Amino acid sequence: MLLASAAALPLLLGAAGCRSSDVFTGPDPLAGRPPLGHDVLTLQAVITAEENMIDLYQLAISGDPGTTRAQTLRSLLAQHQQHLVQLKARLIVPPGASASPSPSSASPSPRASTVSITRLRAAERASAADLVRRLATAPPALAQLLASIAASDATHATALGG
Amino acid sequence: MASTGAVAALQAALAAENAAIFGYGVAGAHLTGSSQAAAEQDWTAHNQARDALAAMISARGAVPAAAQAYYQLPFRVHDAPSAIRLAAYLEDGVTRAYLGLVAVSDQRLRRFGAMAMQDAAQRAASWRGSTQAFPGLTPLVLLALLAP
Repeated sequence: MLLASAAALPLLLGAAGCRSSDVFTGPDPLAGRPPLGHDVLTLQAVITAEENMIDLYQLAISGDPGTTRAQTLRSLLAQHQQHLVQLKARLIVPPGASASPSPSSASPSPRASTVSITRLRAAERASAADLVRRLATAPPALAQLLASIAASDATHATALGG
Repeated sequence: MASTGAVAALQAALAAENAAIFGYGVAGAHLTGSSQAAAEQDWTAHNQARDALAAMISARGAVPAAAQAYYQLPFRVHDAPSAIRLAAYLEDGVTRAYLGLVAVSDQRLRRFGAMAMQDAAQRAASWRGSTQAFPGLTPLVLLALLAP
């Protein structure tokens, strides 16, 4: 009976004026999970960058914990931690997909002694520029959050003497 | 034909710039020395931004909204500390206004708005003496994002 039905399907479609390729045009349910949306990929990349920035600040503070400089860095670090909370709150990953991308291998992990103010300042500037670059393809609400974080990062660069 | 959303966002930014120009006039009268020089510099920056926005609005076939003759200040400004608070308040308002441009579909306007936000946030931080985590975004908006 099943075989008979399957064999009859092209005839039925033909009678309806359809070809089988016209009917099954959606995503193949057997092809696995669909790729993540661009906004999810953007959020994942920005979250990773924010986590790297937090690591950088923590290293800088650990190398010089009792100084006035460390106090300034702690206040900027706290703002980066707030950025991370807001970014993560927006990340909704489909079930079964990886919640966070693999760590970036673009730059090797620095040691505490190598994290200078100059390096933090450069990282803040680079982050602000990267976030603005991502605005073009972000949905409006996400674009506003990224622009606000970029503005915060720009003020951090200035606070660090830039 | 420009989108009405883009023109509305540009008009909102223009209104904030006009308010800042008025406010800096008040603040500058209570400042001296380097603070007064900074206020003058910022006042000039807002005038230039106003002219740029007016040109962008005109280029889109709309009429730039005129500045008001008088703006209600958020608090009484009677000395240097209150003048400095006013300057920071004005810059916060300008930052918020440019946030609207970041949400329009025109990518060049988004970038323009984002860069203007950075300028205003820098000036606000300079007057306030501290940075903010989310320039232009209100705590209520951020709380709404975190709500389940």
